Amino acid sequence: MQIKPILSALRRHKAGTFLIAMQIALTLAIVCNALFIIHQRVSHLSEPTGLDEADIFVIQNEWVGTSTPQQADAKIREDLVVLRQLAGVQDATPSNSYPLRGGGWDDGIKLKPDQQQDTTGSTVYFADDHFIDTLGLKLIAGRNFRADEIAAMDVRDTLAPPQMIVTKALADKLFPNGDAVGKTIYMVGGPGTIVGVVDVLQAQSVDRWAAEFAHRSTIIPKRLASTIGTFYIVRARPGQLDAAMKAASKALFAHNPRRIINEQDGLLSFTEVRSRAYERDRGMAILMGVICVVLLAITAAGIVGLTSFWVGQRRKQIGVRRALGATQRDILNYFMTENLLISSAGALFGVLLAVAINLWLVTRFEMNRLSLVYVLAGVVILLLLGQGAVLAPAMRASRVPPVEATRSV
Amino acid sequence: MLKMTHLSKVYRTEVVETYALRDFNINVKEGEFVAVTGPSGSGKTTFLTIAGLLETFTGGEYHLDGVEVSNLNDNARSKIRNEKIGFIFQAFNLIPDLNVFDNVEVPLRYRGMKAAERKQRIMDALERVGLASRAKHYPAELSGGQQQRVAIARALAGSPRLLLADEPTGNLDTQMARGVMELLEEIHREGATIVMVTHDPELAARAQRNVHIIDGQVVDLAEDPRFHHAVHAARNNAPA
Repeated sequence: MQIKPILSALRRHKAGTFLIAMQIALTLAIVCNALFIIHQRVSHLSEPTGLDEADIFVIQNEWVGTSTPQQADAKIREDLVVLRQLAGVQDATPSNSYPLRGGGWDDGIKLKPDQQQDTTGSTVYFADDHFIDTLGLKLIAGRNFRADEIAAMDVRDTLAPPQMIVTKALADKLFPNGDAVGKTIYMVGGPGTIVGVVDVLQAQSVDRWAAEFAHRSTIIPKRLASTIGTFYIVRARPGQLDAAMKAASKALFAHNPRRIINEQDGLLSFTEVRSRAYERDRGMAILMGVICVVLLAITAAGIVGLTSFWVGQRRKQIGVRRALGATQRDILNYFMTENLLISSAGALFGVLLAVAINLWLVTRFEMNRLSLVYVLAGVVILLLLGQGAVLAPAMRASRVPPVEATRSV
Repeated sequence: MLKMTHLSKVYRTEVVETYALRDFNINVKEGEFVAVTGPSGSGKTTFLTIAGLLETFTGGEYHLDGVEVSNLNDNARSKIRNEKIGFIFQAFNLIPDLNVFDNVEVPLRYRGMKAAERKQRIMDALERVGLASRAKHYPAELSGGQQQRVAIARALAGSPRLLLADEPTGNLDTQMARGVMELLEEIHREGATIVMVTHDPELAARAQRNVHIIDGQVVDLAEDPRFHHAVHAARNNAPA
């Protein structure tokens, strides 16, 4: 190995060496953190809702000329009959919201009536006895609501459902021993009994503030009788989603035209719901990816540029080395090793910088601690990038003929 | 040691062929000190680059230390350059980024020699040229004469079978040139085979034998009367 003479030579080219090492360090620091953010966002994107998403669509129905909760509830029940009778529809259910919608109803859950602090937060879904089947949820303990347990509820009423179905995540949080069914828990309005447990049901919001209870959902046997409107969650028969969506909207208007279903977001397949919910995450991941690619490209260009300059500058020197017995491979190795040394120094600083940037992000934006895997991945990427970038100029250098040693210019 | 037979070197362009060497014959025996002389453009440097395996030739044969070199690949040529030939260039050709020690070490590293042996050889070579105390100096910190001595140390460190010197005093003033020439003579006296290209009749006069080149061919020195006289005069004026 020629490490000692290469280091000696680099000491005579401090400015170029320092600049390229710092560029590598900065790129590494940013790429590590960007990869980490991308991974977090992508993991977020693939979180399960618990729904059979492929066949589900949602209708945001706004009433026109509905003045009382009783009128609203009557219309909801009529609409459900209309929807459930459609040939392409397997089932339908009303709700105050649905997973990934972005907004809805949350409440604190307590285990005792006099408890000051909530044991946990929970997303609250209003549901009837068709909710579980329509969404395709998996009931893993207890039972579904009975039809006679479903009651209308005015938005001004206090939340105090007598029965509840909770997700496994919430059940495990509240009752780690796994015996949640039959237990009483307390919402803002009073106690209720857990009658069933479903496997997974994601929260309405995917934002950071809701992350703590992202899968801690509570389903209550209520129809939200709002004079403003309601959501219908509809499950199409397999392969009939598009037809069912068109038929549903048409049938609802045919039954009662005094409603608004917004053309833009009043009728959405769940695929669209998912796409909209994670638009920001996807955008951030793409942005981070683009930043990584641009930074890596700039760094690679910097390495190619500097090495090409050095090869040009040392052409005579390369010829002398060849004259003194260096093979083409020796010359290639020289430049590859030189780059590896610079890249390694840059990577070392880059690791420190990456950790520093992450610590700042952790304290400033409550991000997670950077995993060592991303630092190592960043180091490997930068070292490989350096070796790849230096290859072409190094090969050019290796082709300098030994007779170059005798040329005067 | 070095034998070229009917050797030719042709530079071809799309429209013209230029013979740098034509039917070139030379035989340098082991232990000889030969000065290769000739006017500018006569083919001296081409001869040296071919002799040193820095360039290939077009036709003929070249045996170096008994080996026919025309069919050797690049790696084999590099190995021979490294192990059998020591180069001394007019412009010294030291690597400016490396200190004296590291410069002398360059060919030894390519030979894959162990560090302890390298160090021993480097210090021996530097002591021989009187520059052991300058081992940590960079070329820019040395005079021209000192730089050429370092280049000679670099050439000697590998114990080559053949020393090729291209105008070794061409970039030096008279006093420094004399010192370098005396060093080469001393090295020759110790048994080295030296082929020195020069256009300086005084230097040529100090070699054992002159090979004169004109238009790419070896000619009798008498065919270049002015140079012949100059060499003759230099020999007569040389101290006994």
